[in-house]
Amino acid sequence: MIGIGKTPFGVFPDQDIRSLAVASGRKALANAQVEPSQVEAFYLGNFAGPSFVGQSHLAPFIAGPMGITGVPCTRVEAACASSGSAFFHAFSAVAAGLYDVVLVTGVEKMTSQQTPRVAEILAMAGECSTEGKAGATFPALFAMIARRHMHQYGTRREHLAAVAVKNHANGAINPDAHMKKVISLEQAMNGKPIADPLTVYDCSLVSDGAASVVLAPLERAHEFTDKPVRVLGIAQTSDFVALDRKDDITVFKAVQTASDKAYKMAGVGPKDIQFAEVHDCFTIAEIVAIEDLGFISKGQGGPYSAEGCTALKGTRPVNTSGGLKAKGHPVGATGVAQICDVALQIRGEAGERQVARHEIGLAQNLGGSGASAVVTVLTA
Amino acid sequence: MTGTVYTETLIHSAPEAFVSEAPYQLIIVTLDNGERVTGRVSGDRVAIDDVVVLVEERNGVPFFRKHS
Repeated sequence: MIGIGKTPFGVFPDQDIRSLAVASGRKALANAQVEPSQVEAFYLGNFAGPSFVGQSHLAPFIAGPMGITGVPCTRVEAACASSGSAFFHAFSAVAAGLYDVVLVTGVEKMTSQQTPRVAEILAMAGECSTEGKAGATFPALFAMIARRHMHQYGTRREHLAAVAVKNHANGAINPDAHMKKVISLEQAMNGKPIADPLTVYDCSLVSDGAASVVLAPLERAHEFTDKPVRVLGIAQTSDFVALDRKDDITVFKAVQTASDKAYKMAGVGPKDIQFAEVHDCFTIAEIVAIEDLGFISKGQGGPYSAEGCTALKGTRPVNTSGGLKAKGHPVGATGVAQICDVALQIRGEAGERQVARHEIGLAQNLGGSGASAVVTVLTA
Repeated sequence: MTGTVYTETLIHSAPEAFVSEAPYQLIIVTLDNGERVTGRVSGDRVAIDDVVVLVEERNGVPFFRKHS
């Protein structure tokens, strides 16, 4: 990775899907000191632009005004893992020797729709023929995961709330975060109910935003930057879309298999990961993720979080950016934004949220209720 | 047809087409034949491990109620 660029995340009535994507793309190109004419391929991660803003054919729609034409421009959709997946495919193409300079952008423009319509669009990432028809929402699917996790392992409401409190604290010191507000455990415990046992404080935000990275082969990286960030390991895997097709919904099998593969490729294990950005679309998702990534054994993610192990000053900081919970979750932008946030830490540019040990970090991006997963291990 | 509740949630914030029905309970049921299905609850709220019985299908969605 030779350049990174993000827009702030939030509610931006004056920005459209293209202006957000172009702004982040230009920042990343400038950061890499690359001209648009040098870009040999463009990958766009976007979940639901056609539904949110009524525009299809989004990859060339965004690339053109950035000055990128005459090259393959491809949109990748994998629900909330859309841009993690776009990054995986861009990485694969560079690693295979097809291209030398590739731009990957993730974008979503969500806030021009009202909440019930947003819920309906997001629900299309589930199994529409069963879950959708029954009136399921994404909070509801993760609420059912939370209920089962509580039932099997004794996870408590306080554990979920601890994740929200921690991520809000981190978001409050991230100038690009959607929500810069510290919350108390009591507040987090008493939010407006969304889908029991989840309240509004357990849910990530509906945001606008974009994030971009520029990739180049390792042997050429130093031509562009003296601070390249290396992809040490990466994998994308899948599972059934429908929650009722999974044997045990307290496990994201796709995350387990993706992390196994990524660790193997990187030649590291979970103990070597010093910090991580994980997909906390809901507080329970962060708890399940840190278990599936092997940071802690299955069922222990709640107490591990409540004890402060994942806090900024903890033994293994998780979501120093504020996560999807506080940084915001413009769905299609999230995967690349996580990778940018890990890269910022590795480059030592994370400001007030800089962690002490920042040689090796991980990003975990999840699609739907676990049907797509991308795990990336990064180092300097 | 009967089964046991594998997991459940009460939905307060519904998608556009279901706003008038909220709050409503969504469940995954492990049927007696081992198969799992996603459905809705009619009547009293149910909890994990409750035995439920299929009462009807509406628009292809199975509705269950607590077995008395």
